[in-house]
Amino acid sequence: MIDEALEHLIKGIVDHPSDVVVSEKNGRRGLTYEVRVHPEDIGKVIGRAGRTAKALRTVASALARRPIRVDLLEADE
Amino acid sequence: MSEKSLIARLEEEGDRGADYLEALLDIADLPGDIDIDVENDRAALAIVGGELTHLIGDEGQVLEALQELTRMAVQRETGERSRLMLDIEGFRAKKKDELRALAESTAEEVKKSGVSVALKPMNAFERKVIHDAIGELGLSSESEGEEPERYIVVLPA
Repeated sequence: MIDEALEHLIKGIVDHPSDVVVSEKNGRRGLTYEVRVHPEDIGKVIGRAGRTAKALRTVASALARRPIRVDLLEADE
Repeated sequence: MSEKSLIARLEEEGDRGADYLEALLDIADLPGDIDIDVENDRAALAIVGGELTHLIGDEGQVLEALQELTRMAVQRETGERSRLMLDIEGFRAKKKDELRALAESTAEEVKKSGVSVALKPMNAFERKVIHDAIGELGLSSESEGEEPERYIVVLPA
């Protein structure tokens, strides 16, 4: 559910929604969601001083009811 | 866009924001009704569901984050910056009442003593409520300090 929620939240704010891919990783740092966006959208999803990235993490953690990591990456060319 | 009336534009903002949030509630399987309104020249959305307190968070940080994302989603659709306000389970409405009461007691204290009083640091929404209330009470106030420690000083008339 968190991956779907993140995908929806991010698709709604970027210019290239069809390039948004979210994958779930359960690693040693706990539950992490890896988000790939079009290179032109990376600035938008991070935001000024990381504000948007923080908002995404805050909402995703609230939905998961525990702290989770969200990694924002540029999609491979 | 400029031909459209302000109200029509704000209603459209509210509709777009509500669509974004409604889809999120569906994905998370959370029940909630979204009320769309226009208040003080801003689109205002209020979600009431009964079990959404985790979407408010301590001190409302989750609510602020959701509002920020909703504004961005609206801006992408309309091409214009949005100042939409979001409330969940009446959190902001209740907070406003508390802040107005604080403004009243502080104004009384300042009027009596003639000395300015500094309040604790508050976020932009909280400061706006205090500034508006202090103005209505016939005093003036200023914000000082840097975010997130920015705070209001209530000044004697």
